[in-house]
Amino acid sequence: MSVSVQTGNKSGKKELNAELNLVPYIDLLTCMVAFLLITAVWTQLARLQAQQKGQGQAGEETPPELQVKIVVMVNQEGFNLVVGQDQTPIPKKGAEYDFEKLSTEMKKAKDSHPDKNDAQVASEDTIKFDTLVRAMDTAIQARFPDISLIDSGAAGI
Amino acid sequence: MAIKAPHAHLYHSIKLEAANTKLGGGGRKSLYQALNLVAYIDMMTILVIFLLMTFSASGEILFVQKNITLPDAQSWTDLERAPVIGVTKDVVTLDGAQVATGEELMKDSATGDAKIPELADRLVTAKNNYKLLHPTEDFKGVCIIQSDKSVEFKMLRKVMFSAATAGYQNVNFAVRPKAKGGAAGPAAAE
Repeated sequence: MSVSVQTGNKSGKKELNAELNLVPYIDLLTCMVAFLLITAVWTQLARLQAQQKGQGQAGEETPPELQVKIVVMVNQEGFNLVVGQDQTPIPKKGAEYDFEKLSTEMKKAKDSHPDKNDAQVASEDTIKFDTLVRAMDTAIQARFPDISLIDSGAAGI
Repeated sequence: MAIKAPHAHLYHSIKLEAANTKLGGGGRKSLYQALNLVAYIDMMTILVIFLLMTFSASGEILFVQKNITLPDAQSWTDLERAPVIGVTKDVVTLDGAQVATGEELMKDSATGDAKIPELADRLVTAKNNYKLLHPTEDFKGVCIIQSDKSVEFKMLRKVMFSAATAGYQNVNFAVRPKAKGGAAGPAAAE
């Protein structure tokens, strides 16, 4: 590779060709490529944070009877959203759980209790992990960032 | 200082007579051949930029196990270092070492106890080691559960209960990050 500076005249003067020494640059690039390829992380994984907190357990500062509990019960028939004393059954759509309606109902619950940040997902034993993750994901998207995953028996409903 | 017209001077001041004789001709055809390195350097530069953009300073925290398919989630956060409990239908592992089988966990205990003794013991050991190695830091009680998406809650409940009895109250579930638009993130556990 060369850098050529044309003088513009034809009076017999030599062209100003200067050879750039690219060897160190290529060495540097090769070393960087090797290092970055070795340390590359190809599998991007993330986490969904949850807690294990049942009724009356550690972490609740106010007495349980004064708190409005928001619980998403997950069972074989579908969801059952419990907000305080109100229960909203969300049955399955065919064989699939109705996550859209759950999202809508949870957003309504958030609008009616804007100070509430915690929700519980209470599951039966036979529910698949994928369903639980999607339910927790839906709750977090409905602005309930503090999610607890508990057994349906521990929900106290 | 007088201003002089530029002139060729690079490499001509070096007296390499033998090389000049050999390469400069001497009646024979010159052996000098310039390699065109532009394309090579372009490719290397683009490769370096791509690798720098995908570089993760935290390194690989989770190694995807062969028979685990992780669920997708949109509300994800970045992983942090913690003990990793792998749960498949067949086996439960802690940092790669088997602590229980799926068959054991699916059985109902006669006493109704959901604790997995070996898992709880190893987690307690891990907790004590953490406190020894980090005496000035608070123990957060965080563990990562890397579970297959088809595992039932019955197994997970026992794993979570064992973790809780060992002092790990904050559970992080490993997921595949999914863009808000709905497109799945990079395939991780196919």
